[in-house]
Amino acid sequence: MSDIAIQVEGVGKRFRLRSSGGRTLKSMVMDMIHAPGSERDLWALKDINFTVERGSTLGLIGANGAGKSTLLSVLAGTMMPTEGAIKTTGVISSLLELGAGFHPDLTGRENVFLAGAIMGLTRAQMNRRLDAILEFADIGKFIDQPVKHYSSGMYVRLGFAVAVEVDPDILLVDEVLAVGDASFQRKCLRRMSEFREQKKTMLIISHDLGTIQSVSDQILFLDHGRVLGHGDPGKVVGQYETFWRNQASSERSREWGTREVILTGAEFSDEAGHASTKFSWGQPLTVRLGYEVKTPVGRSVFGFGISDEAGRLVHGSNTEIAAVTIPGLSGSGHVVLKIPSLNLARGTYFFSFSVHSADHKVNYHRMDNAFAIGVESDKNFEGICFMPSEWRVG
Amino acid sequence: MCAKGFGIVFGRDSSYTLATMIGLVKDIVARRDLLAMLVARNVKIRYKESVLGFLWTLLGPVFLIAIYAVFMKIIMKFPMPMTVLVSGIFVWQYLAMCLGDSSFAIIGNANLVKKACFPRILLPFSIVLANFVNFVLSLLVMLVYLLFVGPQFREIAWLPLAMLAHLALCTGVSLALSALNVFFRDVQHLTGIFTMAWFFLTPVVYDVSMISSITSKYPILGQLYFLNPMAGILSLYRTALLGSPLPSLNSLAISVGVTVVVFVAGILIFQKLQPGFADEL
Repeated sequence: MSDIAIQVEGVGKRFRLRSSGGRTLKSMVMDMIHAPGSERDLWALKDINFTVERGSTLGLIGANGAGKSTLLSVLAGTMMPTEGAIKTTGVISSLLELGAGFHPDLTGRENVFLAGAIMGLTRAQMNRRLDAILEFADIGKFIDQPVKHYSSGMYVRLGFAVAVEVDPDILLVDEVLAVGDASFQRKCLRRMSEFREQKKTMLIISHDLGTIQSVSDQILFLDHGRVLGHGDPGKVVGQYETFWRNQASSERSREWGTREVILTGAEFSDEAGHASTKFSWGQPLTVRLGYEVKTPVGRSVFGFGISDEAGRLVHGSNTEIAAVTIPGLSGSGHVVLKIPSLNLARGTYFFSFSVHSADHKVNYHRMDNAFAIGVESDKNFEGICFMPSEWRVG
Repeated sequence: MCAKGFGIVFGRDSSYTLATMIGLVKDIVARRDLLAMLVARNVKIRYKESVLGFLWTLLGPVFLIAIYAVFMKIIMKFPMPMTVLVSGIFVWQYLAMCLGDSSFAIIGNANLVKKACFPRILLPFSIVLANFVNFVLSLLVMLVYLLFVGPQFREIAWLPLAMLAHLALCTGVSLALSALNVFFRDVQHLTGIFTMAWFFLTPVVYDVSMISSITSKYPILGQLYFLNPMAGILSLYRTALLGSPLPSLNSLAISVGVTVVVFVAGILIFQKLQPGFADEL
């Protein structure tokens, strides 16, 4: 057996978009008139190339609609790629969604056998696995009840139990970790690490970046059907976070002003002076805020604000409050803002900057939520911002 | 196994030759456990939560027979033996069930088609087989009834051929309808009208002999009539069960020939369209 479990070469998948949803006589006539390859085609995947070694785990990340699920479908064979080739070695699990084959009117037990048969196992093979499935799913007497009476948790537990006990060489998992309670998730993760020990290959989709980073050997970052990053989990997750933050700030950002002075950019750097948009709790943060003067102005004030993802202002201040006098501005230059210790909880934050006249009457340039940073924190406290505090008894 | 199995059937550029057909048969044989389970599922869920359960397979035709008996035999004084009506309705019922169910064979299992990998042909085929199971059971009940009214079963040897052709016809039609309905939902609306027309073109509530006044004058019409495969198949059933005269071998050959064409065309249409199912659903 070769050491490559999955080889994907130049894979693309095109979908036909239709304006009104269904196929109508009108759309058929339009199809005949329009040449193929018109603007109504959507490439859900394009130029996808990667290999997965046997026994390793590949994580797929990307925003909704990035093509992750389409990629799994193409790998499982439920969809045909429009172009390119896929080679897989070994038995590939072909149930992309937990409990996909379950029929609501059949009992759990009947559905287990049906799901097993869908994945290519005989009744005898399923009989041998039944005990392990029942133990993993842990749903007791409900196994002989129709699954329509199951809670969603029970449904998913049974689905996952079937998927893993079928024992494929390649396991494709779409968003398992998003469902189930914490104890079930731990169970899933444990089962997945057993899988890795048995040198099984896995492909996982998850939006939980922390988990996917810890279980994957490699990560593939998709956006709009294209591969934007592939490789070391930490590196690619960082790349994805930066990408996502830029995306988020470009959606939120707003700028206005008289533009006698314009802010030309903000460079964020960490303790060591390296450019970064990802910081840890308690680290210093430095921003070099560039400006360019179009029309010389008198005394001015630079300000900044930090907002959280919900849009709440966490902190704001300016040079006037800090008693830093900015005399008349001309030419171009920069001001430096230093935050000695970033006391923020884990999350994404947006920086706003402004420059205005000392009397606050003329707003030269203001950029709201224009720059996003990510903060990692293992500091234990409630809320967004850490407040140094002390307890005393008596 | 799944990926390999699909390699044969799934390939976009594979020409649908004999090799493809053999591959398909191999696929179905390899997944016979799944087929058996799908058939069992379809049999089980058809009458799930209904008090009378399987009895409905009998009650449906029985009510139809009662209606036609009252209207055609009693009110309209149509000279038709009861056994002809009973055999006609029971045999027709199988095709009618397949026509009604098959449009939903794929679209009703959209989640499975999108999320799981297995030969898609098993979905409509399992419906045809599940209905066949119901049909065979109702056929047994009908045989008991026929024993009471006492026709001869001298020609019963024709029964296997009739059932085989019936099964092949239902399979071909169901495969085509299930696949076409994925792309054109008009199919499910059309089948109702189509079924009605087919019903009257088939000697269900009359006997072939009753239209002999027309067909003896224009023999070509008699031959054309048997282009409807159900005309030949139902006649065969009546020969086997009621001892009715065997239609001319010419007519039978036409009906069986069309049945084979429908069967093969159904498979080809289905296999041609199935790679696009997941995209469309």
